[in-house]
Amino acid sequence: MIESGRIDALLQVALPSAAQPAVITVGLAYFAVVVAISIWAARRTRTASDFFVAGKGIGLIALTVASVSVSVSGFAFIGGPGFIYAVGLGAMWIVLPAAVTNVMGAWVLAKRMRLLGEARSLITVPDAIGARYRSPAAQGLSAVAILVGIVGYMATNALAMGVVINAIFGVGLGWGIWIGMGVTLAYSASGGILAGIYNDVFQGTLMAIASVLVFLFVLGFGGGLGDISRVILSHDPAFLGPWGKLTPLAALSFFFVFSMGSLGQPQAVHKYYMLRDPLQLKWYPLLKTLGLVLVLLLYFSVGVGVKAFVLNGRLAPLTSPDQATPALLLSVTPIILAALVFSGIAAATMSAANSFINIGAAIVTHDLPVAFGKRVSNELRWGRAMTILIAVAAAITAQQSGAMVAFLGIFGWGLFASTLVPALAVGLNWQGATRAGAIASIATGLIVTLALETTAYRKVFTFPAGVTASAVAMVSSFLVFFVVSWLTRRSAAAELDPDVRLVMEL
Amino acid sequence: MTDPARSQGGVTVDLTRRASLVALFAGIAAIAVGYAAAFKSAGTPGWAPWLLALGIPVALGAIMVLGAARGRRGIGQLKLPLAFVVVVLVIGFGAALALPATEGPLSQLWLGMPARAAIVIYGIGLLPIIVLPVAYALTFETQTLSAEDVEQVRALGRRYQSRNEGTEGTSRNDVTHD
Repeated sequence: MIESGRIDALLQVALPSAAQPAVITVGLAYFAVVVAISIWAARRTRTASDFFVAGKGIGLIALTVASVSVSVSGFAFIGGPGFIYAVGLGAMWIVLPAAVTNVMGAWVLAKRMRLLGEARSLITVPDAIGARYRSPAAQGLSAVAILVGIVGYMATNALAMGVVINAIFGVGLGWGIWIGMGVTLAYSASGGILAGIYNDVFQGTLMAIASVLVFLFVLGFGGGLGDISRVILSHDPAFLGPWGKLTPLAALSFFFVFSMGSLGQPQAVHKYYMLRDPLQLKWYPLLKTLGLVLVLLLYFSVGVGVKAFVLNGRLAPLTSPDQATPALLLSVTPIILAALVFSGIAAATMSAANSFINIGAAIVTHDLPVAFGKRVSNELRWGRAMTILIAVAAAITAQQSGAMVAFLGIFGWGLFASTLVPALAVGLNWQGATRAGAIASIATGLIVTLALETTAYRKVFTFPAGVTASAVAMVSSFLVFFVVSWLTRRSAAAELDPDVRLVMEL
Repeated sequence: MTDPARSQGGVTVDLTRRASLVALFAGIAAIAVGYAAAFKSAGTPGWAPWLLALGIPVALGAIMVLGAARGRRGIGQLKLPLAFVVVVLVIGFGAALALPATEGPLSQLWLGMPARAAIVIYGIGLLPIIVLPVAYALTFETQTLSAEDVEQVRALGRRYQSRNEGTEGTSRNDVTHD
């Protein structure tokens, strides 16, 4: 739901140093807990299934908190409030879809993916596409698309980690990247997704606590939401208009891309395989939505609150919008709250990185070989090796030019959405969808996203206000999926195995 | 409520899913036209955002119906909550587009926000949270998944696995390695 890649790019601005004893102490305590959880998880990871889908043995609460944690990323703490500060309530259209995305995901994907996992012992998102269309080609192509997206996500997450760790410990950006990736790699390689899930539980809890405390602090400091609004309305009423300073088309585009696109985010969708008992899905959307609301309280309150505090002179004007959260934390809030939030930001970036590392390793060791009719003899060992390779590659890429990393981070969410939503979300619910439709749709999403993002990045052309490459690619992919499936509809029935058909009919 | 279903070319087709697919296609097409209009040299026409304001709720509602539809029973009791959410989104988007910008120091506040912002934050952002997850949980056993469903899938999966083991010698992913 929240665009980790694009927005972690916003963390490339240097955060002010928060290296004070309290912040460092809380930061060290945070890392100590992460290490302890990782050691515990490593001892329980014995099979490829443990490594990639936690042995399908995660309970409801743990899965919910982990899912919230991996959905949010550092954007909710730094980039998001900064975006609100810059464009007003228009930035809320990125997070408003959270009201519907979790239930939508549950209805459209959770049940069918979890049951497919039950029937076929699936462990990856491309596995589901391969099983649905009985097509190694569709599985391989979707794996390639996810891998391309992960390259961008990982580079931006690695850089974001470096920025945050540098702010906490003052070790320099380069060392920050290596320390952050080193810790993430340690628990990703040793404990796989099991370590990731339980670290996510810890990290998600930390993020929720930090978010609620900051929300309450901002309301108290500003005299309540009404007083905060009055200050803003006196100076800049457009800020509190429904679109803020965006155009209606831009704001609605955010809502479309972040709602429909949520059905194609592998880091969230992949979690459906992990629930111990499929019947526990009953409370998953409610709990996850409530968790997201708690974590997003900071996003809203800091963005709006800091705007009011700057307007009435209680905070100095910001040097850039992304300084909204650090400025509030380091100038106004108790230092212990700042320490919690900085650790929460580190937690958010590490949580997202771990999830992407694990998914990337599964693609290389599982999906791509399957697409070529091969099997890796020891998926666990190769999974660990690929985890190390991906993490090191991400850390090296993150050391490159900021513009390059920003570009890589831009297309992650949109690429996942345009390549996976029609083939996966619609395909698992429509027996008339065909293999040709799925392959054409995935290819369209991949090509259109890369072509448009590259040409826009190189300023070959400029999109009209409110139109994004992600949105155009997703719409194109949908239309191609429908048209090609309709043209090849005679083959639809032959592409369905009986167990897949049953899962789709339930 | 039972929807008549029939097999068409070997795939199950029912009215609920058919209608939701048509609505999904229509919603996406409306969004596509809205975006295409933004490329006009004269600038984005005023009606383009309205296409998104209608197309997005229709597409989201349609894909939720498509996912929630169960066999030939359609969406049963979920009609009301799903319709409610689509209507809330349409009204919320429409109000944000149609109401005049009157925000100012003397604006009346609703739960701390001026009217149009309150519609967006509380209407679009919070109302569906109160309705959808609760409707999902309350209808879970009848509409989404029961213990019998799970057992049925497991049994069919076991047959699939044993058939594959017979031909390939091993199942796909359940191999213990260490």
